[in-house]
Amino acid sequence: MRQVVSLLRPRLWSFKNRGHAKKGGIRFFVFGGIGLFFWTGIFAVSYRVLVYFQRVEDIGDILAYKLLSMVLLTFFSLLIFSSILTALSKLYLSRDLSLVHSLPVPREKIFLAKWIESTLDSSWMVIVYTIPVFISYAIVYESGLFFYANIALALFPLCIIASALSALVVLAAVVILPASRIRSIFVFLGFAVFIILYVAFRLLRPERLVNPEACSSVLVYLRSLSAPASPLLPSTWAFDSLKAALSGDVRNSLFHAALSWSGAVFLAFVAVWAAKAVYFRGFSKTQAALARPFQTQSKGLNIFFSFLPGPARAVAIKEIKTFWRDQTQWSQIFLVGALIVIYIYNFSVLPLEKSPIQTAYLQNLLSFLNMALAAFVLTAVTARFAFPAVSIEGNSFWIVRSGPISIRAFLWIKLFIYLVPLLILSEILIVATNLLLHVTPLMMYLSVITVFLLTPGVVAMGIGLGAAYPDFTSENPAQSVTSFGGLMFMILSATYIGTVTILEAGPVYTVFMAGIRGHGLSYLQWAWVVGSFSVAFLLSILAIVLPMRFGRKRLLVSLI
Amino acid sequence: MIRLKGLSKHYGNIKAVNRLNLSVSPGEIFGFIGPNGAGKTTTIRMMGGLLAPTEGSVIIGGVDMARRPEKAKKKIGLIPDQPFLYEKLTGMEFLQFTADLYGIKQDAFAEKAGKFLNMFSLFGRAHELIESYSHGMKQRLAISAALLHDPPVVIVDEPMVGLDPRGMKMVKDLFRTLAAQGTTIFMSTHTLKLAEDVCDRIGIINKGLLVATGTLTDLKHAADMGEVDLEQVFFQLTEEESAS
Repeated sequence: MRQVVSLLRPRLWSFKNRGHAKKGGIRFFVFGGIGLFFWTGIFAVSYRVLVYFQRVEDIGDILAYKLLSMVLLTFFSLLIFSSILTALSKLYLSRDLSLVHSLPVPREKIFLAKWIESTLDSSWMVIVYTIPVFISYAIVYESGLFFYANIALALFPLCIIASALSALVVLAAVVILPASRIRSIFVFLGFAVFIILYVAFRLLRPERLVNPEACSSVLVYLRSLSAPASPLLPSTWAFDSLKAALSGDVRNSLFHAALSWSGAVFLAFVAVWAAKAVYFRGFSKTQAALARPFQTQSKGLNIFFSFLPGPARAVAIKEIKTFWRDQTQWSQIFLVGALIVIYIYNFSVLPLEKSPIQTAYLQNLLSFLNMALAAFVLTAVTARFAFPAVSIEGNSFWIVRSGPISIRAFLWIKLFIYLVPLLILSEILIVATNLLLHVTPLMMYLSVITVFLLTPGVVAMGIGLGAAYPDFTSENPAQSVTSFGGLMFMILSATYIGTVTILEAGPVYTVFMAGIRGHGLSYLQWAWVVGSFSVAFLLSILAIVLPMRFGRKRLLVSLI
Repeated sequence: MIRLKGLSKHYGNIKAVNRLNLSVSPGEIFGFIGPNGAGKTTTIRMMGGLLAPTEGSVIIGGVDMARRPEKAKKKIGLIPDQPFLYEKLTGMEFLQFTADLYGIKQDAFAEKAGKFLNMFSLFGRAHELIESYSHGMKQRLAISAALLHDPPVVIVDEPMVGLDPRGMKMVKDLFRTLAAQGTTIFMSTHTLKLAEDVCDRIGIINKGLLVATGTLTDLKHAADMGEVDLEQVFFQLTEEESAS
């Protein structure tokens, strides 16, 4: 164990040394403030929902327990997803692995140290942001101190189980699939994530919670609500323990917590045992990954980009090739794909016909909100792919700097490379969801045009702010989105989308209502419509030009 | 002290190292030279226990690396060409981390760390973060960490990368002193002059095959050349191999 502690020590010392660094105080407070804001928000929403459930006679407790069960299942799914990606990175891709594997430490101890690190990294944020939910349960149910202690007692083994299962999946994947085709691992992980998300989503069956009519009688509805989740699920053990603690049944609570802990210890043991057998084999294979994962035809790309001048063409082709050959992008692409499928699926099951509000009005209202939501999805995807586009140059950036291409041209090429696929993605998203909503042709045209205008602005903000706050030294440039610049991008993009949506909302409502009432628009209303749309258009132009200029200026200053 | 028996590493169809057989005696400085991509670093990674061989074995001080990796690694001080150092640790903390893993006692550590930090002119900056070090300083720190546990075998990949002339002389003298005390040194390098100056024996690897091994005189005979330097022998032997 001493060696495991020694292997973990650099991480602790690094953390301590970071704490001693004077700089970053403002950032700490900004991030801390935002974190606290979200934490308080989660607490307020959970508390409000639980108080509401308490007022529902007879089934209030059932609903609260069902919610707790769903929270724990979601918590467990998130942990599995986060642990798979972290374990793969910690166990096989970390830069310090060549150092630690050269040291006289048994491989299973290296695994154990890396696995502990991975467990902490993948769990802490999920724990921090689910604790307000549990605290709200404690307050609403007026439970004693034991419940608070039981939160830790029930959640920690759940984190260990998720991390151990993920480590076993990763250990098996790296050994089964030839490391020379490590891309396959990421494809495999992408599918795994999709399946986990889909299964978790279907297990929750959220539509039944709000739709008693789906059941043949109240009894069936109540039964479906109070039906226990599978006893084989680790989240059920945590749920049983927390539920017993809420009702003051200490003995039963401890029993289920013990069940959870025994599962955790057993799986951790199995993971270490498996690592002893196969970890080094996988690590060795990973280093031997030579095969080119994706064939891109230089000739085709050359012809496609023949309209560009030489240096610009070179950067464009390099960008496309390196993107497709960077295997770390694959899991993210699959994740984004999975989220989009779920997003579209949600629209297909909306019970519009049951709404008391007039359907045509509701459909158009939803379509309007959908524009903003699609733009927020675009922001998330841009944050992941376009924002790190400059940082991803890393140590190779000197080639661009010393080449016969200006930073301006370099950034604009980046913008167009990412704009084309993101524009196609956004339009598919908006058209597909609008078709599912059966919106009017006016709303369809408006959505398509608005998204067409919003996308370049959002992508330009991603590229521009990514250039303004680059991180060329990061081990994983994709993580640069969690930096100060990433936060700025998210805030600015959300503000931009919100402003354009608000600018369009009023006029669209006026036009829509005039259509329903059969009135024409007055001159003043026409002026308002034209003015609002003109401002939205102007804003979209500024959203492209200003961030790109800001990014170029800051990047040039940082390079001096 | 070092024995490589039929050591091979294949990456798909590519034979990066092909049936390498080699022995290095205690106190010997062995130079391992070859063109880019010849298999030098792959061999060193297998010797350091970082890479599993496709075939064959690495024996360090009588211990098989595949069977008892921890025991074999205890006998090695590995200095990679681009060493990974935890940037957010101080130089002293990094040495402490290494000492902990090699089981060096605290009192012995203080003395040894002081000795190496002084020797490599790092003492004054031992409590600064490694991220503030120059490339050469990082290289010197990596060498200090590798020698901290008095390994009987030192395996070093491109020892002079990033070192200034003073640093280079220091390393050359150190290797000679260590070898005189019985330490075996296995050194991969592109700097032929260094190999010529320091090494007792030299092995030339090309396309994964060990094409020649011996003293400089032996190599001259093998290349069928008269009074020439190692550079000419190197070109002769690697070109012959490429042509054949």
